[in-house]
Amino acid sequence: MGTLLQQIINGLSLGSVYALIAVGYSLVYSILLFSNFAHGSFLVIGGYSCYFALKTLGMNIWLAGGLSLLAAGASAILTERLAYKPIRERTNVTLYLLIASMGMSIVIENIFVVTVGGRFRALPPVIPTDPVNLFGLATTSAFDLISLVVAVICLGGLQIFLTRTKWGLAIRAAAYNLRIAGLMGVNVSRLISLVFFVAGVLAAVGGIFLSVRYTLYPQLGGITIKAFVAAVIGGLGSLPGAVVGSLILGLAEMLTAGFISSQLRDLVVFSLLVITLLFRPTGLFGKSVGEKI
Amino acid sequence: MAFALELGGVNKFFGGVHAVNDMSFILQEGELAGLIGPNGAGKTTIFNLVTGVYDVSSGHITFFGEDITNHKTYEVVRKGIARTFQNLRLFASATVLENVMTACQQHHRYSFLEACTHLGRWRSVEREIRDRSMTLLERVGLADRADQTATTLPYGHQRRLEIARALALEPRLLLLDEPAAGMNPEEVQDLNRLIQKIHADFGLTILVIEHHMELVMEICPHIVCMNFGALIAEGDPEHIQGHPEVLKAYLGEEVEE
Amino acid sequence: MSAYTEGIITLLMINAIAAMGVCLLTGFTGVFTLGHAAYMALGGYATAILTVKYHLHWLPAVVAGGILAIVVAYVIGIPTLKLMGDYYAIASIGLGEAIRLILENWQSVTRGARGYPGIPTFTTMPVAVGFFLVLAFLLFCLLNGSYGRMFKACRDDHIAAALLGYDTARVRVLSLVLSAFYCGVSGGLLAGFLSFIQPVMFDMLKSTELTAVVVFGGLGSLSGCLLGTTIITLVTELFRPISQYRMLIYGAVLVIIMVLRPEGIMGQYEFGPKLFRKLFGRKAPAQERR
Repeated sequence: MGTLLQQIINGLSLGSVYALIAVGYSLVYSILLFSNFAHGSFLVIGGYSCYFALKTLGMNIWLAGGLSLLAAGASAILTERLAYKPIRERTNVTLYLLIASMGMSIVIENIFVVTVGGRFRALPPVIPTDPVNLFGLATTSAFDLISLVVAVICLGGLQIFLTRTKWGLAIRAAAYNLRIAGLMGVNVSRLISLVFFVAGVLAAVGGIFLSVRYTLYPQLGGITIKAFVAAVIGGLGSLPGAVVGSLILGLAEMLTAGFISSQLRDLVVFSLLVITLLFRPTGLFGKSVGEKI
Repeated sequence: MAFALELGGVNKFFGGVHAVNDMSFILQEGELAGLIGPNGAGKTTIFNLVTGVYDVSSGHITFFGEDITNHKTYEVVRKGIARTFQNLRLFASATVLENVMTACQQHHRYSFLEACTHLGRWRSVEREIRDRSMTLLERVGLADRADQTATTLPYGHQRRLEIARALALEPRLLLLDEPAAGMNPEEVQDLNRLIQKIHADFGLTILVIEHHMELVMEICPHIVCMNFGALIAEGDPEHIQGHPEVLKAYLGEEVEE
Repeated sequence: MSAYTEGIITLLMINAIAAMGVCLLTGFTGVFTLGHAAYMALGGYATAILTVKYHLHWLPAVVAGGILAIVVAYVIGIPTLKLMGDYYAIASIGLGEAIRLILENWQSVTRGARGYPGIPTFTTMPVAVGFFLVLAFLLFCLLNGSYGRMFKACRDDHIAAALLGYDTARVRVLSLVLSAFYCGVSGGLLAGFLSFIQPVMFDMLKSTELTAVVVFGGLGSLSGCLLGTTIITLVTELFRPISQYRMLIYGAVLVIIMVLRPEGIMGQYEFGPKLFRKLFGRKAPAQERR
């Protein structure tokens, strides 16, 4: 019983980190209707900025964290301006955006490979990982609890932003119909930059926690594929869906690793994807985008 | 004898919007009929329901006696229904001729093996597809532009190309969705003549959605008028022109002083 | 001809076959894939096991590799290609990784991550060129006829294509299955060339390289994809010393092409009279144009 509870908490913790990534990705998808494959790179940028801020600049975790969020957010905006905007303005073939995003993802990942090298780096232990005893029922690490709490706070913050602020309202309108939102007076260009900034920031938070959990290396962004799967399971374009999908995925992964085999974790993830596509392709909460015929 | 097209009690909801409200009408074989109504009346939705692009919420649709309600689009088309689109859907990377050939080849096939090797019947069937497509282009007056990229044609020509492409399917029922949109009166007259000619030459059943009264009133002996998703009047042009509901739909209600 | 040059040409032929497969799926049918190296892996391993363990002659072994790829592609394709847009792209990444994981972990059959050695080196230059010429001919013929028009229609406007009576999902599956065959054969030939294969040879780098080559050469142009393969294979060889920058360059190529010239080098054109006329012909008189 203790192990089960432990794995559940692990699963929720991992899932909540996936949620941060999946939500950012789904947010971009809901506005621009394309899968930004470069999303994982924002994660990596967040991780590395934090690492260097901590190690080389000797900042404390709060400052380092803040810096990495800004760095990731800024790179997200830069990516959008450099690679996506010119394509978006010329054509509405999403295939080109997809390919460009893949390209950006490779470019950013490999910039890290050639500049700082591909070796694994451990972040200085600024986030406590000591075991914590939960009401005598199970032991889990403080890290898992902290990442869960931080994820909840961030997602809660996002929710408040989306429902209570003017820009949040604009984003929700744009998710419904970007062109109309523009016609209603929303500055579409700035809105898109804002959305990318938010996505980048969320990815960076996830990136920091993932770097602690798995150590930091340039291909860490590859873990985003799991966030993509989570977003698909929850329904592309739906934010609550992304959260639910991520939690399901995190739980599935941890329960498989704990009770069946660690090797099969990833297979379970992809099987969930196939099952979703087979039986409920629009995901749990997905909106099917209808075209005017 | 079965009716060419029959709609019985068809309803379509999009969420809370009752886009099509208990529509029923019948098209006899060989008719040239018109479907009119103000913008947003649900006319294109009817086409989409008939061709399986949307599923009906309730009701049934039969085509020459066969039930085609909620069938997949390609199944419906293969049974003999072809359509053109309000917002032109030509194949942008293909030439004018290739657009028509893509439709024409549905009735002239060769095997996969012949396709990979260009042997056997390939050459003769390809030639037949090309010839038939050119003939159709000649009919609509586009033969001289056969090798142009389809989307570089002037707007009116693109509409005619869509008609040629639909005809290449050798349909029994042809649905034309606002074929005269964006045309000037002279072009509309040309289109009128073209539609009537097609109707006479091919013996097709044709249903035309149109906004342009000149087109519909002139060539369609049978007109169905919709508003807010429901049928408000049906009959010949004279009947429709004088019908109070139709006038109300298009011109608005008179304000009683 | 030196052994080195022969080797380059052989490798070029192998890459070209796989690239043609991806070109069919992504360029001509509009389905973006990032996991086609998986089909190469399936072909490679099937060929390796059949020749080494069961002493089958290499020709049926390579074809069998292609057929295995077809079967897997069919099974995967049916559920995933029903959907439009990005779903297949994501699924293809997942599939690529899943297959690689299976190959790494199914030690008893595939010898795991250490790789499969001892494959007879049957892929000589004539063999590779032979396969290439036959497969290129078949594909070129296929794309120049009804099937080509059908694939392009489903790519350009899947709703209009459905309204011409095409079952677009099945068309996409057909395209996937054919592309998988080409990649499977390519993988089999690669096994016979290197005499040794490892799962890591068929990772995201390889899949991305395939897609980059097709995009670079021109989505919708078979000769473009061959041109792209030639350039990239040669450049990879020439720049072997800086191979760590390879991925960076592929990525940059993808982005730059999409931003500056999304239709790639050749655009929609093939090598032939039309292209010649476009490049060197007189400007058409005004009457002919509009």
